[in-house]
Amino acid sequence: MVARPPELTRDALGLGLRIPHYAHLLEHWPHIGYLEIISENFLGDAMPARRHLDSMRERYPIVLHGVGLNLLGHAPLDTAYLDKLGWLAEYVDAPFVSDHLCWTGGHGESHHDLLPVPYVEDLIGVAAERAAFVQRQLGRPFGLENLSSYVEFRASTMPEWEFYRAVVEQAGCWFMLDVNNIYVSSQNHGFSAEAYLRAIDFSRVLQVHIAGHSREANGTIIDTHDHAVADTVWQLYADAWKMGGPFPTLLEWDDRIPPLPEVLAELAKAARVRA
Amino acid sequence: MLRTPLDGTSGTLAVTPSSYDRELTELALASTKLGSTDRLAIYNRQYWFRLFTVFHGAFPLTTRLLSHFTFNAYVSRFLVARPPRGWDLDAMLVGFDDFLLEALPAGTVPIAGQRVGIEPLAVVQAARIDAAFHRVFRAPAVEPFHPRAEHAEQLLSSRLSASPAAAVLEEHWPLCELRRAVALAAGEAAVALPERLSQPRFWLLLRTGTKLGLSALEPREAQLWRLLQELRVGAALEKLEADCSSGERVDLPTNTQRWLARSVTLGLWTGLEAAPPR
Repeated sequence: MVARPPELTRDALGLGLRIPHYAHLLEHWPHIGYLEIISENFLGDAMPARRHLDSMRERYPIVLHGVGLNLLGHAPLDTAYLDKLGWLAEYVDAPFVSDHLCWTGGHGESHHDLLPVPYVEDLIGVAAERAAFVQRQLGRPFGLENLSSYVEFRASTMPEWEFYRAVVEQAGCWFMLDVNNIYVSSQNHGFSAEAYLRAIDFSRVLQVHIAGHSREANGTIIDTHDHAVADTVWQLYADAWKMGGPFPTLLEWDDRIPPLPEVLAELAKAARVRA
Repeated sequence: MLRTPLDGTSGTLAVTPSSYDRELTELALASTKLGSTDRLAIYNRQYWFRLFTVFHGAFPLTTRLLSHFTFNAYVSRFLVARPPRGWDLDAMLVGFDDFLLEALPAGTVPIAGQRVGIEPLAVVQAARIDAAFHRVFRAPAVEPFHPRAEHAEQLLSSRLSASPAAAVLEEHWPLCELRRAVALAAGEAAVALPERLSQPRFWLLLRTGTKLGLSALEPREAQLWRLLQELRVGAALEKLEADCSSGERVDLPTNTQRWLARSVTLGLWTGLEAAPPR
């Protein structure tokens, strides 16, 4: 029988689990408030993934973060995928599950990317109904993450944060708030990141993501998750904490990943920044 | 549109915004920094390079034999013909080695930026080896089959079920050794194909715990294990004997017993399937 991991506290600092972390984790078992796994990496029956997951779930609370739900796509929600997701959530006893307020494919094909939509009134009800369904199926809190995006649509009739809030409220689900994404999108689209934060009901924030990004020569910022967190994002995080903390905070570092102690040192900055 | 194939003429696989549907690009807004087409091109670029990265990870040897640029060109052809479906990124890799068998030219395969190309058989074997490493590592947990006395009577008329955590590899160049070397050497340029082996070499790729290991196989041993994956045990042994020279047949009974015993010890089989009734 698997021992129950410690509870995920409201001020916990967590790490997005990635393959390069395993060696250090399995040897040293550093203190980490919780782990977030990319759901799709553990939905199959690959033995190595399952074995690592078993080791981790004995020692750390684990939350799920998906990229394949296609919440805002035309196609019906993939119930086979949701069944697997539900099984995984149960298997690790996930306190919550999250995915993105986006579409990922259409006509049977997948872009494997998180694609934005026009923010229009008509889409709120559809999105909310689908999010509410997912939350009922999972039987635990379901959070929607705001995207970092590189395009806006002529057809949008409201800012992203109004659409986001409306969907979460109507669905009765939760915000999975990514402050790096707010910053990235604010720079790419020219809106106020602070205005975005002011629209969030922090009583319904499940978790906040922080991450690094890259700036291109033309000034566009890309959500690369391959750097330490920028000072501007730390400031936004501190603002979010003042407005609505405490909330669990998770660092995503997906590429050019330094040794785990360095990643954990970056995560530890969150406690100093919000103090 | 977001998956418009990349432009190979520039040598850097840049996106081709000029080929985007105008009506669609007008749906998007320009920003102060970029026009709408260039903003959409970010997603196009992300699509290709995300998928290329997945293919590089799954086919590291094949990638380096062809160079990233040439490999990416084959991947893009494969994905245009068979775009990814569903949430499982891994599923899009299936069939790429078979695709290369059809797609590679019959003669030498040109490699971008190099005067000398590469034999297509080397590329196909590299792809098969890469695919096997990827598949074997990700196999589910399996219980090895240990035959008991009561299985003896039905053995010859039955088929052994192969473990997904094992694969027989064949190489006509030292590709497995090269695969280990390229894993340690970063870079996007093509690596030189080593000299061809005087005889084909065979390996057993086996997952033990979460580790992968290679064990050398005798050629007839490899042939036997391959035959056992396709045929009933009796038919596999008959085929093997038929292919052996008279000299090889002298020691075949002893060798066959040894090879079968080894295959069981190593956990190559997960069960015995009775032959369907006539």
